Amino acid sequence: MNEYRWSDIHLGLKHEFEATFSAEDANAFAALSGDVNPLHVDEAYAIDAGFPGPVLFGMLTSSLYSRLAGVYLPGKYALLQGIDLDFSSPVHAGDVLHVAGEVVFMNEAYERFEIKATIRKADRKLVSKAMIRVGFHGK
Amino acid sequence: MDSNILLEELQSIFRDILDQPDLVLTRGSNANNVEDWDSLAHINLVTAIEKRYKIKFALGELQELKDVGDMIDLIQVKLAAK
Repeated sequence: MNEYRWSDIHLGLKHEFEATFSAEDANAFAALSGDVNPLHVDEAYAIDAGFPGPVLFGMLTSSLYSRLAGVYLPGKYALLQGIDLDFSSPVHAGDVLHVAGEVVFMNEAYERFEIKATIRKADRKLVSKAMIRVGFHGK
Repeated sequence: MDSNILLEELQSIFRDILDQPDLVLTRGSNANNVEDWDSLAHINLVTAIEKRYKIKFALGELQELKDVGDMIDLIQVKLAAK
C-alpha cells in the first residue's frame, strides 16, 4: 500500500494494476447489495438475454476504482470524495481487468486531486472510465 | 470580464454542483443562505471555478471570502493578472 501525502502528488502521477472477479464474487455482491437482478446471477437468463454468461455488476467492477485510490493513489491516507463514472461494455467472470489511473488535476487550496481512470479488458476494450476526486485524512 | 456575466456563469456552476436547477445566485449569496452549500460542496465549487477560468486560489484567499460577490471580485483580479 502506498502512503502518499499531498507533497508526493503531482500531475501525471500514474498507477495501474490487474484484477479478476469470479462468479462467487458476483453472488457475494448480490447478497451484500441486495441487487439480485438475474442478468448478474442467473446464467440461463443472461444467455437468453444475449450474453455469453452473467454480466458482472458494474458497481462491482467499479469497486476497483476504490482500490486504486485507497491502496495506490494516494493509498493509506486517501479520503474518497467523489466519482463520476461511465460504463462502456459488459464484463464476465474471469475477465482480466486492467485498471489505470493518472493524476490530472490538483486543487492546491484544499489539497484534493483528481484521477482520470479507466478499466479495460485484456484486448484493451474499454469497460468503464471514471473521474475520481480524492483528498486526504489524518494530516 | 463583466461581473454580471461572471455572476451568471457562477450561477450555472452552482446550479450544477448543488443540483439546484432553479437556484438564483446573487452577490450576497453565501454558505448560510444557500441550501446544501456545505464544506464538500464548497470544495467542489472551488474546483469547478478553477477549471472553468483556469485560475488557482490559495487557501488564505478563499478563507477571506464572505459571499459570492467577494468570489466574483477575486476571480476578476485573477483573470486580470493572467
